[in-house]
Amino acid sequence: MMPSTATAPATRVVVPAPKRRRRRANPTAAILLILLAVLMLAPFIWTALSVTKPTDVAFANPPVLSGYTPTLEAFKNLWETTYFAEYLVNTAVVAVISTVVALVLGIPAAYALSRFPGYVSAILLLLALVFRSLPRFAVVLPMYDISRALGIYDTNFALAAALVAINQPFSIWLLRNFFAEIPKELDEAAMIDGCTRWGTLRRIMIPLMRPGILTAGVFVFLFAFQEYLTALVLTDTASKTVPVFITTQLGQTLPMLQQAGAAAMLLTLPVIAISFIAQKYLVAGLSDGSVKG
Amino acid sequence: MRRREFASFIGPSLLVMVGLLVLPLIRTVQWSFQEVNYGQAGTFIGLSNYTQALGDPRFGRAVFFTLLLTAIVTALILVVGYLVAIGVNGLGKLRPYILGSMLVAYVLPGVVGAVSFSWLFNSNFGGVLNLVIERLTGQELLWFTDTWPNRVMIIAHTVWHLLPFSVLMILAGLQGVPKELREAARIDGANALKMHLWVIIPTMRGIIGFVCLITIMDVLRTFDSLIPLSPQADAIGNESIMFYVFDNAFRDGSQQLGLGSAVNVLSILLILICLFPFIRDLLKEAKAKA
Amino acid sequence: MRNRTQIRTGITAMVIAASLTSLTACGAGSRTGAEDATAVECDYTMPEGETTVNVLAYNSSAIDPFTNTMVKSCTRENVTLKHDPIDFSGQVTKTTATLSGDTGSYDILETYGFAVPEIASAGSIVPLDDFVAEYGEKYELDALNEGMRSALSYDGKLYALPMQAQMYVMAYRQDIFDELDLTAPESFEDMIAAAEAIREQGDIEYPIALPMSATADVSTIYQAAMNSTGTDFLDAGEPQFTSDGSREALEGLKSLLPYMDPEVTTFDQPSVQQQMFNGNAAMAIMFSGRMNDLTLESNSPNFDKFGFAAPPSLAADAPYLFSRLSVDGWAIPENTQLDKDMLFQMIASSVGEDASNASVPAAYPAREGIVTDESSAYAVAANETIAATMPAPNDPFSAPVTNAIRPVLVEVLLGQTEVEDGMQEMQRLAEETVSGS
Repeated sequence: MMPSTATAPATRVVVPAPKRRRRRANPTAAILLILLAVLMLAPFIWTALSVTKPTDVAFANPPVLSGYTPTLEAFKNLWETTYFAEYLVNTAVVAVISTVVALVLGIPAAYALSRFPGYVSAILLLLALVFRSLPRFAVVLPMYDISRALGIYDTNFALAAALVAINQPFSIWLLRNFFAEIPKELDEAAMIDGCTRWGTLRRIMIPLMRPGILTAGVFVFLFAFQEYLTALVLTDTASKTVPVFITTQLGQTLPMLQQAGAAAMLLTLPVIAISFIAQKYLVAGLSDGSVKG
Repeated sequence: MRRREFASFIGPSLLVMVGLLVLPLIRTVQWSFQEVNYGQAGTFIGLSNYTQALGDPRFGRAVFFTLLLTAIVTALILVVGYLVAIGVNGLGKLRPYILGSMLVAYVLPGVVGAVSFSWLFNSNFGGVLNLVIERLTGQELLWFTDTWPNRVMIIAHTVWHLLPFSVLMILAGLQGVPKELREAARIDGANALKMHLWVIIPTMRGIIGFVCLITIMDVLRTFDSLIPLSPQADAIGNESIMFYVFDNAFRDGSQQLGLGSAVNVLSILLILICLFPFIRDLLKEAKAKA
Repeated sequence: MRNRTQIRTGITAMVIAASLTSLTACGAGSRTGAEDATAVECDYTMPEGETTVNVLAYNSSAIDPFTNTMVKSCTRENVTLKHDPIDFSGQVTKTTATLSGDTGSYDILETYGFAVPEIASAGSIVPLDDFVAEYGEKYELDALNEGMRSALSYDGKLYALPMQAQMYVMAYRQDIFDELDLTAPESFEDMIAAAEAIREQGDIEYPIALPMSATADVSTIYQAAMNSTGTDFLDAGEPQFTSDGSREALEGLKSLLPYMDPEVTTFDQPSVQQQMFNGNAAMAIMFSGRMNDLTLESNSPNFDKFGFAAPPSLAADAPYLFSRLSVDGWAIPENTQLDKDMLFQMIASSVGEDASNASVPAAYPAREGIVTDESSAYAVAANETIAATMPAPNDPFSAPVTNAIRPVLVEVLLGQTEVEDGMQEMQRLAEETVSGS
């Protein structure tokens, strides 16, 4: 998927049907992988346990593992006594808007980069690489200063705009590789039929690119949904997001600490659902784009 | 594609990136030569921010720790990621469940995952892993105040968080390896190892390079996970560069904004050095095409 | 005679009412924390447009009653008071951020004696004397303790309206102390002796718990130890880090370290509470505002086993206790866009008599005559502490000097730097900060 070093032959490989693989599944490997998966889930499971225990045993040392009645009190308190709903809406709105805008801007740019050969494209891709690697503070602190001067500090708009810019390089990169997969002859045929470039992109390319766009969209959405640093610096009371809220609760006393854990659970459940649903498409989508450089 | 079309396609995106990334970056470079507060014009003080940063042992510690973390985590992620991807690729019905559960670590917001992770190890808050490890080794490790146990925990967390991405990518890459090669690699024994090392991995050089690149970038900017995982990061030498910037340029007000900006500029240089091999490859490729 | 009975009945009723309120308000942020909070009169002139008043105040069971009262009582018609739950270090960061520009996010700030001189001298918060003159009678502000008002004053002007005082109190496990025939320690030496006895008995490895978090609380602990010897960080603006008091404080604290959890430098006050909740420590010293949590059944199986006492002194012959007195109050930022008259009436109503009554036993309100020895389990200890805490006026440089020396202090306590070298280094850093270079 890298524009750079890939030397793989440009043959399209069909993903083999799972049936053939199952025949050879290695039981030791399977058991190891199940163990690994459980280990990977451990922090999540542990937090889920902690927030559903009654407060007096939630963080007891040594941990209390049984003999208590699970409770959803922390969730109830979170919902009733804090502005959690508002933080969640902020987080979701910013993630959705920034994803849509990043794709709307990124798709044509990625398409152009895949069709315009030579130095200009290479330099622009290189720039995208450099932008992706920038230390976040190098752009976010000036954004803080500028947004305060412009009076847009602590708005969903400012945060979404920042995230569009920050996530743009990654989405362009990913999309550019998907476009590179589509033979140029297809564009030419479409243009002979009277399509403009924009028409070609809209009528031919985008429908063909659906798995690629979905993949890029899922990634950008996840990045935006998770973003902590940018939100920490650019928001305060009006557009606070859930990750920022959770970190301001780490030094709280018991019931509120449990609420923070509950907030973490509620923030995570939707993305876990997404990851379970999307993983199949992600592998397929990524392999379409990535096999050839 | 014509030049004008190219410009119109790429224009909006470029405009956003110039406006929202390049302009702030210029501001950062300006600040790095100034003594300055948010919302005020600074005074030019030449290179003193840079000399202050480079002369600050705390900055040196942060650079050392960040590079160490990057090297260890990247190596672990590549090796473990490859092995897991091979394993997952060989799974049948189980595959979606295993992959789905692993992805959870990646989709959890970094700081949330780090909080959960810290609870697993924090004895004062009834952690369970510290207890298990204590029972197994007979040693009571100080996960939050001893340099190396704390490093191990930070490394474990970073690998935990980033591993799924590399598995996903390598798995996707494996789908592109010709079937005969993969079949051949399944033969047990030394031949399989050779097959992986000399045939399959070179075929996937591109994707592995990409995973390596992304991992380096992500680890170099480690920041939020240290808030719960290393509450006295600087005192035990486990502070990252980004944490140092945060502490100087944001947390205690803005007195040190110039210094923070200078560190930002220095870390950009550092990142460019780390990424140099990849950049060189990209340029070579462009030259070949041009 | 009759009179006294009446008073007693009155106090009992008050305590019951107060504990009910505080139990229900406990742990609540202020959205509906406000619903079960006390309602008081909050009689400002209604502004014309929709107005949101953002309140910055960290959560603790001692601060919450005041915040909740204000949010509940002053939210009406066009005006909404908004308070996001936040921890103490969050409040510190946000305070700096909101005060640093021409406009800020917050309209009412919780602040405390230590922080007031710095932000007051910078002109970031407004003096309240004119408002006090105008509304003193309406809100009975004369009844706010004089000493607490002066703790929140700078250069002769009042910059924050005091709601409560917090002082160090020692909580200890009454059951364990009784069993081992120990009494509440009166010096660090006693504390160590008690700790050894408890350790001997076998259940608790690290009996002493202090909040010594390397990024915040540790400097307060050091200052409290220094104060016990009668010295402070600054004496008329001169740093005192190379003084004998400083050395005794550092050595005293180091002598306690073997009896504290090895990770103590990561512990803030909630972590110390956690040690007590879990029965992993037998003596804890922290601010009084954190004490009531220990006595709540919902928090811990040990809730009924705690005794409270004034903290010990550094040494038996030390002039003062190992303590700090911190006064919490409400301030109005200079850069708020809202009507300051309205904001003042909001904060004034939240420190009124009803609100102050409702804050007991979680807090030690600034209003005279509310706290008696019967007000709370730790009230006797709190009153004793106040009487024997070194009066230590704050200076605009207190806060910046404290930030400057903290990393070295941590090095000294962790044993990375020798005491003498550390003292010299702290003195140098402090002098640099004071001279502004």
